[in-house]
Amino acid sequence: MTFDSYNRQKNAALLKAVRKSSSAWLQQHLQYHRQSQRPWSRIIGSMLCTFGKFTMAGKITLFGLLLIVFVAVFAPFITIYEPSAISGGSLEPPGPEHILGTDELGMDIWSQICYGARMSLIIGLAVALISGVGGGTLGLLGGYLGGNWDRVLLRAIDITMALPSFPLLIVIAAFLNPSILNVILALVFLSWAKPARIVRSSALAMKKQHYIISARLNGASPSYIIRRHIMPEVLPVLFVSILNIASYAIVAESGLAFLGLGDPTSKSWGMMLHYSTSFRSIYFTPYWQWWLIPPLVALIFLLLCLAFIGRDMERVIDPKLRMGGRS
Amino acid sequence: MAVQYATVLFIILVLNFFLPRMMPGDPFLILSADAENEVISVLTEEQREYFRSYYGLDRPVHEQFISYLGSLARMDLGDSIYYKVPVSDAIWLRLPWTALIVVGASIISTLVGILLGLLSARNREKAGDKLLLLGLISFSEIPSFLLGLIILLAFAARLKIFPLAGAVTPFANYSGPLDAAWDIGYHAALPIITLSLTQLTGTFLLVRNTLVTVMTKDYIRTAKAKGIGERLVWTRHALRNALLPVVTRVGFMIGMLMGGSVLVENVFSYPGVGSLLREAVVARDYPLIQGIMLIMAVSILSVNYLVEIIYEHLDPRVASYEAA
Repeated sequence: MTFDSYNRQKNAALLKAVRKSSSAWLQQHLQYHRQSQRPWSRIIGSMLCTFGKFTMAGKITLFGLLLIVFVAVFAPFITIYEPSAISGGSLEPPGPEHILGTDELGMDIWSQICYGARMSLIIGLAVALISGVGGGTLGLLGGYLGGNWDRVLLRAIDITMALPSFPLLIVIAAFLNPSILNVILALVFLSWAKPARIVRSSALAMKKQHYIISARLNGASPSYIIRRHIMPEVLPVLFVSILNIASYAIVAESGLAFLGLGDPTSKSWGMMLHYSTSFRSIYFTPYWQWWLIPPLVALIFLLLCLAFIGRDMERVIDPKLRMGGRS
Repeated sequence: MAVQYATVLFIILVLNFFLPRMMPGDPFLILSADAENEVISVLTEEQREYFRSYYGLDRPVHEQFISYLGSLARMDLGDSIYYKVPVSDAIWLRLPWTALIVVGASIISTLVGILLGLLSARNREKAGDKLLLLGLISFSEIPSFLLGLIILLAFAARLKIFPLAGAVTPFANYSGPLDAAWDIGYHAALPIITLSLTQLTGTFLLVRNTLVTVMTKDYIRTAKAKGIGERLVWTRHALRNALLPVVTRVGFMIGMLMGGSVLVENVFSYPGVGSLLREAVVARDYPLIQGIMLIMAVSILSVNYLVEIIYEHLDPRVASYEAA
């Protein structure tokens, strides 16, 4: 089977699957991207194809995630007060002045929630992208090129995976100044190994496939094969691992902030949890109802959104995964 | 494998040694917060020299590192600045509480996970099973401390069934050991439930999926053909073989539970090592932070190492696979 006919067959099968379950708009785009010969276009096509096959829960949570992104981006327009401005009395209950009330210093809680979304999303996105793209690239090179470089990489992956991440994170955060950048760097250091391992193993499996071998025998360079054939296949798998890293990073950041290791000048959901739970005997007062619950609900909502999107994605790409494993 | 764990341990030791030395400032000077470069010294130049040589900070770095390793080998983790006692004593005092909730949670989540997994595998594709699956998966996605906060708000703050904080009733006079055990169990209940819930889903899914695979095997058909009854086939033939991967999971679970207990203990103000860590962070008690992290890292590593060894003995296929 030449790789052209392989591609044509695969495209037809994918299109059939999508036609069953998605809108006309999606189909149109998909048709365009799948038939296009440019690699980036094919990547977009495979992403759209994945979203099209989501379950109801996946679509709802995707919408929820977009909502959080919207709140974070347009925070200045949907809030009245600055998040760290003293705009009211101390510990005011929710009312017309302050939708969600105020904290002990008289800062508006709704503003803190909106601006806090930025912190979680930035940490999640930055860590996931850096370790996903960086780890993925390392894994791709290791898996495809093999040799000594691959042996070193495998060793490094094994060691990083065995590091006890949370205790390490605590000391790093305690000793270095807890700025966003340091937290991101520490999290990248602890999380690059997983995407590297996933991409490495699927590149290794794909290398033995007939269409890649035939492309190589036809004189295609490694960079061409990686770009044109391996990347579009590996990307959905990598995307799932990126989503998982994003929620890991968000949990880690809020956990550190909850322990008091966050940046004290920043407003994040974890910091709000830290301040409210540090408030003396908060559970004997009504304050926890509007001070502790909002950041708690926001964090759980964000994490559940990421989890359900990741789960759906995994389910959709699973048959492809198995196909990649067969040589 | 042993080389890998030794390398990991070495990396942890190096980090633990160099991180404090990378911090800005000088241990014997006070950086003023008022002005940018204002430095206050309460000690004279000679006193600072004396302290530097007293603590060995004037020697070259590699000598300091070797003497650091030497003191670790003598189980000497330094002195806590805040508690004014050796770090190992401060940790030792709190360790039993952490051990209690970690061991309690691993036992409960394993037992309940096996039970639910068995039930779920037997009733596969029924509505109740699907609901259980969805519920448990959602629970597993909520990190332990957020789950702990929800449980605390619901059962302690709102319903007032369980205590809000602590490991024992303050100033309690126990009438006997049973009374004391009841009080300790009552206080440990919520942290243990929280930690169990975070690990329950993993065990549950593992048992369920392994059972489903095992049930398709030939020896199960043989057992059924012998006519020994559905119940015995499930428990004696299927479950016994499905428990093998659970052994590994218990080990790795203990590692994860130790990490999780740091945060969960703080949610419930439970006086274990995790609360000690938060107190150390608040007081900026660096030797204590380092000591706690080292003890936790070493225990997680040794549990994981132990599990791999045990698993190799239980399942010889693993060893031969790795050798190949």
